[in-house]
This record gives sequence, structure tokens and C-alpha cells, in this order.
Amino acid sequence: MAAYNFIRNWLLTIFHSSLHLLRAILYRLNIVRLIPTKKNSMPKYYHDDEAWADIEPLPQDDGGLHPLAAIAYTDEYSEAMGYLRAVMAKNEFSERVLGLTEHIISMNPAHYTVWLYRAKTIPELGIPLKDEIAWLNPTALKHLKNYQIWHHRHTIIDALGSPEGEPEFISTMLEQDSKNYHVWSYRQWLVKRFDLFNKPEELEWTADMIETDVRNNSAWNHRYYLVVGGRDGKPSQELAKREIEYTKTAIRKAPQNQSPWNYLSGIIRAAQLPKSTIKDFALEFADLDRPDEVYSSHALDLLAEIYAEEESSRAEAEKALNLLATRYDPIRANYWNFRKGLLDQPKLTA
Amino acid sequence: MDVPLRSSAGVPSSRLEEILDGSDRIEELSDTDNEYEDMGTATPEEQANIEYLDSVRIPIRDSLKTETLKVQDETHEIILPYLEGNPNDFTLNAYGIPKLQRERHAHFLKKVIGDYPPQAAMMDASRPWIVYWGLQSMTALGIDIHPYQKLVAHTFSLAQHPTGGYGGGYGQLPHLACTYATILSLAMVAGTATYESVDRKTMWHFLGRMKQADGGFTMCEGGEEDIRGAFCAMVIVSLLNLPLDLSQDAPARKAGLTTFTDGLGDWVSQCQSWDGGISAAPGNEAHGAYAFCGLGCLSILGPPKETLPKYLNLPLLTHWLSSRQCSPEGGYNGRTNKLVDGCYSHWVGGCWSLVEAATSIPPSTQLWNRTALSRYILAACQEKKGGLKDKPGKHSDAYHTCYNLAGLSAAQYKYVYDESVNKDIGSANLGAPYHWKTACGYEGENVIWDSEDTVRGIHPVFIIPYRSVYECRRYFETKEDF
Repeated sequence: MAAYNFIRNWLLTIFHSSLHLLRAILYRLNIVRLIPTKKNSMPKYYHDDEAWADIEPLPQDDGGLHPLAAIAYTDEYSEAMGYLRAVMAKNEFSERVLGLTEHIISMNPAHYTVWLYRAKTIPELGIPLKDEIAWLNPTALKHLKNYQIWHHRHTIIDALGSPEGEPEFISTMLEQDSKNYHVWSYRQWLVKRFDLFNKPEELEWTADMIETDVRNNSAWNHRYYLVVGGRDGKPSQELAKREIEYTKTAIRKAPQNQSPWNYLSGIIRAAQLPKSTIKDFALEFADLDRPDEVYSSHALDLLAEIYAEEESSRAEAEKALNLLATRYDPIRANYWNFRKGLLDQPKLTA
Repeated sequence: MDVPLRSSAGVPSSRLEEILDGSDRIEELSDTDNEYEDMGTATPEEQANIEYLDSVRIPIRDSLKTETLKVQDETHEIILPYLEGNPNDFTLNAYGIPKLQRERHAHFLKKVIGDYPPQAAMMDASRPWIVYWGLQSMTALGIDIHPYQKLVAHTFSLAQHPTGGYGGGYGQLPHLACTYATILSLAMVAGTATYESVDRKTMWHFLGRMKQADGGFTMCEGGEEDIRGAFCAMVIVSLLNLPLDLSQDAPARKAGLTTFTDGLGDWVSQCQSWDGGISAAPGNEAHGAYAFCGLGCLSILGPPKETLPKYLNLPLLTHWLSSRQCSPEGGYNGRTNKLVDGCYSHWVGGCWSLVEAATSIPPSTQLWNRTALSRYILAACQEKKGGLKDKPGKHSDAYHTCYNLAGLSAAQYKYVYDESVNKDIGSANLGAPYHWKTACGYEGENVIWDSEDTVRGIHPVFIIPYRSVYECRRYFETKEDF
């Protein structure tokens, strides 16, 4: 066991984190194709191409008037779009159409029409879905914030019926941009589609992401999705306890980090535990008797909520909210004062 | 116990507590490696700005270094000089804040809706957006867009798809985002011919095809289902006064749904996340832009006072929205622990009117910090060459111009929901959003804008001028059928 730990730590030191290690292994195995296709500098045309001789392109119709926000398309783009409109009008699904969509995507990856038509073409042609994914990978890495690429991937993987290789690919993407919304949303879809909720690796990977940056709210959201959000019913007391302990450790590393505080409240709410469960913990970071030693405005916020629920602690709630409004989180003074106003309102009995 | 000690380094306000004299304060700050302050003594305006920033700063900082903290620190370094001083040399208003640079922005906006070079092919599918952002920014600045009326109607007529809805341009497939931007643009330029250019019947069929069995909407056929779809669809159905019944060919009918609104509130409800915010789709991370879409959708489904508490945990949402305001920058971020960005001036700032309409608060109170937001917009998001932007160091663009100005309007006015407004319209199908009005300009403490820095009022749900909203709906309410 000691030897195993030694080797593991040694590897981790070299590769900084298990993610780097994974990435390095993937490079070796050539699972992830990272080398982007070299862009052809020569423009590609269809009008003098024998293979396209039977197609009469449909040119852009500007209806005589010069429209707003008009783009002076290159001849190459303009012509390719003309051929696309023509094949779409004919409902043609063929190898050459696939090439055409690739060509247009290389010039404009945000062109949803082309992506949708490509997604229709693939099953019509019976193209191996794995080939499509292999083609997609470098494109996705080049255009991290693109909606279409992710939806296309979703469509293909859904049809393929296997998530194999996807978690690894996602890790590679998140190394470039660890909070990429599309990537995380795609991962949540993947977990649901292939029921990965109980796969230990999924939670371990998420814990690694949180370990790497405890302030990564996307990672916390994914954890919540795995543990509670994506499942039916309320979490067991045992699970809630585990999550509370996990989150406490994370908060101790950086108490002024709102993600785990929100997570803690989220777990408490989902498990229908009283907020006072975490009162002592919050007091470690903000004790109203020592107003000069507040280590987390979020602890004060939570305490204000806990006190507000306790019939006899209104004065404490007010004190916590005053500290927030005047000293520890003054930019939100209006909000804290609004919360103070709520203290006077008759309580709704739950 | 392993509570880390608060690190005092890098927290000017905690150091400043020890310093009594104002001029020493400036010297002390110049010890940081902030180039701008090294350039000499601060003007009275700069001193006032620095004091303001200190007054809204959170005096706690964790020492643990992670990527999030690193980029946050780097961003502060870039932004703070703009909030403290005036590196752009803009003329200042009576409050020592850069004036709204109307001429520069007007000049920029003319270019926005003009011609683009070949490299702009990347935005070929987003042209309706460009036009919408450009026109809306113009109306916010009080620029007359009537001269563009014919051209707008013409531009979009080319993008209308024979099967209903609008695409990004000629020959492109219909898409809800493009259709949304199109309908708002057409409503802005108005006129019978413009209104009549919309094929409402095919539109109704198109929207019916977008409706999903779970209550939500996809953005296009075979496309993603997310909360943008829910919002865009409701905006279009409501503005065009389309029948709420799903067409017979709508696939969702097979699942037993009969109207556009069936299951929609519940679907939006599922998008509220564990931390109170609203996400793109159930299970995803809460995000400012999606929060506005969710609230906008619910504010069309019914009066906010009814629909928001019905489908959302409002106190939790309010907490989350409030947390989006960045300290000390004053602008908003879109997600927990992400960076401030001028576009959230609207996406988050614009949520407040809707939330306040659903919350019982005394008239003189409010939930958020208008001063801090408008400071960020005026001081940090105006580009010298015109247009507004994400943050200093970025380029201005149509998108950020539109949503910074909309956010500024949210800060400068009090928009209220009032059933007695427009008694003649909005009594039927999705009529709730036709009862909004501007109660008054915001006149509380800490106003930091002159009348010349004030933008026009904007309808808080549709994000176009009030008049455009009401005229459009009034026109289509006269239609019995298609």
C-alpha cells in the first residue's frame, strides 16, 4: 500500500494532477486526435468541378435592395453556400454533400443550418458514427464556445449509443476552459443518457475538478447533479452527511468561496434537514460576539438565515445582516436591508 | 482548527483603516503595482472614486491560490484604473464619472448595421441579432430608427422560411433565436407593411414544431432544447398574438399537450438550480442570461406576482441574483466565481424589475445596487472608439452595446407592473406583459448620472421601447385569425 501511494504521488507530482496524467496517456494511445486539420490555403470551388456539374447553385437572393448588416462574402463562401442551398432544396444526401458541409463549417463553424444538414446526412449515408466523432474533435477544440458543435456531438453520441471515450475528451476540453458551459452541460446530458450516476469514476473525476480549483462552480454543480439533482427522491441521511462533511473540508480551504456554501445549503434543503445542523460550523467563521474576526461573509449570511428561523434570535439575525450591510458585504447593502425588513414580517408556518 | 488567516496583503481597505490622512491613502495605494496610480497625485474625482470603491469592497480575502483567483486578480488589475480614474480621457459628468459617450456610440452603431468584410462570414447566421442589437441600442440612445424601416422589413423578408419562422439569412433554416431577434426588430421599426410581412400562420406551425413533450421548446428542428427557446417562443406568440392552441401537426400533441403553454411553467421551474439561479436546461449550472430568459418567460405566462412565486423559489433566486454583483467592480457576473462582464448589466440587472414586481417591498426600498452597476457601465464599459464592451481590454461590439445600455436603463428607471396600464389590450392570450410602465426615473441616493447620461426607457420583458411593444400587440389584437 505504501509503495502504491509512493508511485501514485510520484506520478501526480510529475503530471501535477491525475487529469494531466490522463491526458498524457491519451496522447500516447492516440485516442484523442488533437492535431487540427491543416487549413487549405487554396480556395475551393465547385463550378469547374466535374463531380458537381449536375448542380445549378442557388445564389443568395438580396431582393434588389442592399440589406442591413450585409457581409461581403468571399467568392469561395458565396459559391459554397449557393451549392448548399441547391442540394438542400433537392434533399440530396451524399458523400459530396458531406464534403461540402465540412468545407462550409471550416469557413463558418457557427452556421447552424450546415450542422443540421450534416447531422441529417450522416445517418442517410450510414457513415460510421465514430468517424464523425474523430472528425469533430479537433473542430471542437478550436471553437470552444460554439453551440452547434456540442449539439452535433450530442446527436451523434446519442445515435451511437455509447459514451466510450467521451469523458476523456471532455477532460481535454476542460483543461482549455475549465468552466465551459457547453462542455459541462454536455457532460450532464451524458450522465443522464448513459446513466452514469452510480459510476464511481464520475464522482471521483468531479472531486478531482473541485480539488484542482475549489472555486469552480461548474464542478460543484456537476457534483450536485450526480448526487441529488439528476436523481429522483430526496437524498438519504447518510448521503447528506457525507456531502456535508466533504463540503466542510472544502470550505475550510477557502472560507470566502460561495460555491461550497451554496452547496451546503442546497444539500441541507434537499435532505430536509434543519439549517441549524450547520450552525456550529458557520460559527467557526463568523461569531457575532467577535465582529472583528469574520472569515467569511457567506457564513454571516447563513447565520442570518438560521437566526431568522429561530424565534428567539431575531436580534442576532439583525446583527448579522447589519454586519453584512455595513462592513463585510456592503455592495449588497440594499439586499441585506431588505432581508432585515423581512424579519419583521409574520412568519409563514411551514 | 485550520481556518486560514485572512491575508491582509492586497486588501487596500484593511490597510487603509490604519491610515487617517486622505493623501496618505493615495500614496499607500500607489504601492500596489497599479501603473495608473503611479502616474502622480489623484484628482479630487479620483479620490472620490477610490473612496467609493473602498466603501463597496468585501474586506475578506482567502489566501488559497487557484485558477479562479488568479484570473480574478488579473482582471481587477485591468479594470480598477478605469473605475478609479479616467484613462480614456472622457469628459466627466457632475459626479466625476465619464459621461455617456453618445456621439461615439451613435457613430459606432451606424457601422454596426452597415456592411461587413468577408472575414465576418462567421456571423452569417447571426445577422438578425446584429440588426436587433444595433437598432435597440439606437433607440436606447434616442436615435430615430424610422429611416431604416423599409430596409429592416426587406432584410428580414429574405430570411423568412417558407415553412415558417426566420433563419439567419436567405436559405437558412428557421431558428428561434433568429426569429426572436427578427420579430423584435420588426416591432421596433413598426408600420402596417412591416407587420404584414410576417407570415403568422406558418410561424404558428413552426413554433408548434418546436414545442416538446416535456413542456419546453427546441431552438430549431433537431436542435437543442433550452430556456432560450422557452423565452423566445413566448415573446413571439405574445407579440404576434398567435393562437395558444398547438397546430394539429405539432409533435407535442402526441404526448397529450394541446397549447404552447402546457407544462411550460413546470419546465422552467425545473431549470432553477440548487443555488437558486436558473440554468439553460434542468441540471445545468445557474447562469445570468438564462435567468433572464426564465423570468421573462414566466412574466409573459402571467403577472410576475403570480407566476414567479408559483414556479420559483423566489427568496433563493433573489439571493443568487444579488450575489452576481461583483465587488468592488459593481458590474455583474453571470455565474458564481466568474468574471464581471458588461452584458450581464442587462441579463442580471434586467431581472430586478421582474423580481421586484413579484416581491412585496416598500416603495422606497430596493433590492440591488444601481449606483455600482451604472458606475461600471459608464466608467469601464465605454470604448473610446465607440460602442460598449465586456470590460476594459476587450473590444466593443453590438451585443455588449445593446445589453450594457439596457442594463443602464434598468439602473436609471423604476419599471413597475400595473394592471391599470393599457386596459384596452392584453386581456387575453399571454397579455400580462402589456401592463408595464416606467414609474419614474431613479432618484435615490448616490445617483451618478446627469440627465445627458440617461438612456431611454425600455420595456423590461421585451427589451425594445414600450411604444414598439404596445403598438405591435395592438395591431395584432385586431386580427381575428391569421
